[in-house]
Amino acid sequence: MKPISGSPVLTVSSSPHIHCGRTIKGTSLQILLALLPAAGFAVWHSDLLALRVLALSCIVAVIAEAGCLKLMKREIESDNYTALLCGLMFGFLMPPSSPWWLIAVGSSLSIIIGRMVFGGLGGEPLCAPLVGWAICKVSWPELMNFDMSMLTSELTYPLSQLQNFGPETLDEYSLKSLLLGFQLGGSGAAQSGAILLGGVYLISRKIIRIDIPLAFVGGVSIAAALFYTISPVDYALPVYHILCGSTLFGAFFLATDSSSSPVGHFPMIAYGLSAGILVIIIRVYGAYPDGVPFAILLANLMTPLFEKIRPKPFGGITNVHLQR
Amino acid sequence: MSRLWKEFSKGLWTDLPPFKIVLGLCPVLAVTKTADNGFGMGLAVIFVLTLSNVFVSAVRKIIPAKVRIACFIVIAASLVVAVELLMQAYAYPLYQQLGIFVPLIVVNCIILGRAEAFASKNTVLLSAADGFGMGVGFTMSLTFLGGLRELFGYGTLFGSQIMPESFKPFSFMIEAPGAFVCLGIVLAAMNAFTNRQRRKKGLAVLDNPTHDCKTCGICGH
Repeated sequence: MKPISGSPVLTVSSSPHIHCGRTIKGTSLQILLALLPAAGFAVWHSDLLALRVLALSCIVAVIAEAGCLKLMKREIESDNYTALLCGLMFGFLMPPSSPWWLIAVGSSLSIIIGRMVFGGLGGEPLCAPLVGWAICKVSWPELMNFDMSMLTSELTYPLSQLQNFGPETLDEYSLKSLLLGFQLGGSGAAQSGAILLGGVYLISRKIIRIDIPLAFVGGVSIAAALFYTISPVDYALPVYHILCGSTLFGAFFLATDSSSSPVGHFPMIAYGLSAGILVIIIRVYGAYPDGVPFAILLANLMTPLFEKIRPKPFGGITNVHLQR
Repeated sequence: MSRLWKEFSKGLWTDLPPFKIVLGLCPVLAVTKTADNGFGMGLAVIFVLTLSNVFVSAVRKIIPAKVRIACFIVIAASLVVAVELLMQAYAYPLYQQLGIFVPLIVVNCIILGRAEAFASKNTVLLSAADGFGMGVGFTMSLTFLGGLRELFGYGTLFGSQIMPESFKPFSFMIEAPGAFVCLGIVLAAMNAFTNRQRRKKGLAVLDNPTHDCKTCGICGH
């Protein structure tokens, strides 16, 4: 509607009238900012190898999203940075030495099969970067294996050491070196300290709620502590399980993915706890050294169940009333 | 004759199993690792489906309605045993590849579905045409899906190398989740194609095509 003359005195529009100012673009920019220190550490540790992986992954993700939106005859909305974020998170999970085609295939499948086939942003039932990661892991296990694909590196992969040689091998890793990212793993996901920094930033800016990361780390600690108390010789200390591999990346960035995680306090805590406990179960009994991605995918599948736990509406009729 | 052709040809596109009538998914997902397997499975189903339709149609007036399902199963089971023995005699490698899924043709929904929806209400000749058409459609679908998965999963088609040497097999496609993803993509592509055809004809586009009684019309409900 055009105003008849000059600027409108009163604007007539439908509700909502008050907006908190949070936008998709702003949120994804904040998350990208929180990921930056880890990306920097990844590039430093891998002698620029990770830069190639992260850049390629981001570019392919944005192109794949734009292509899908064009095919679906929708407005191309790459300027909200969600595809860039998805690509960067996918790159974080990949070994820095991955060949270019592996990154291209995985990153585009993350967007296409993980997000766009479900109707685009906000429709994905699973955390999109993990879908691409799982497809790559199933298809090309030898390239996704950090030990085999990173033979030239002086660093070692603590979780496969733990799986193959027992927990005493973990003594060679000091907490400081683990926090600084002196371990093999996903290019950005292994930078535990930087990831922790980014996660704390996101929580302090209220981009993510503290429930899921806290419950996730809590679940990992409880399950690992349980195993450790049963037999300290056979199982590692909980702190190693938190700092090794991609536990912190999963807790702060993957499990909190807005459309595949539940809402509400209790569902969030149940979701985080179950994902955390699954991580330790996969690490102890499973074939995969790092259980985080699969644990989060499984927890994503349980999200609709957790969302059935709802608060009682104020003044709503409860079952007790009905029984009378 | 035109009626016969109509009953035969509906299995080739309009009611193409398993993509249009989403029935019998167990073998579709399990045996389509290669185009060969899909084709062999399809042949076995053509045999069973055509003959079971013929027999069910022939005895449709003497079966009491209450026990008809049991009778259909008995007929299908006898035919499947015949197929199994024939495969053991003449196509043993294929029989070993398909394994448990050959006996499982008995409980394939398409067999029972055609017997109940078509053969128990129509003449022998029409039922044979219907069963044969559905079987051919099923074979086409399975071979197509198997070819798609084999091409990407092994880089071969009917056992011969297609992809260049440097191609790294995309093993996801031949795993169980790859079967689901492939089937979903094929279904989506078919729906998109159908909608395009409808738009060209000026008909209303089915926003979310479902396979309920309104859109399927197989049994005339």
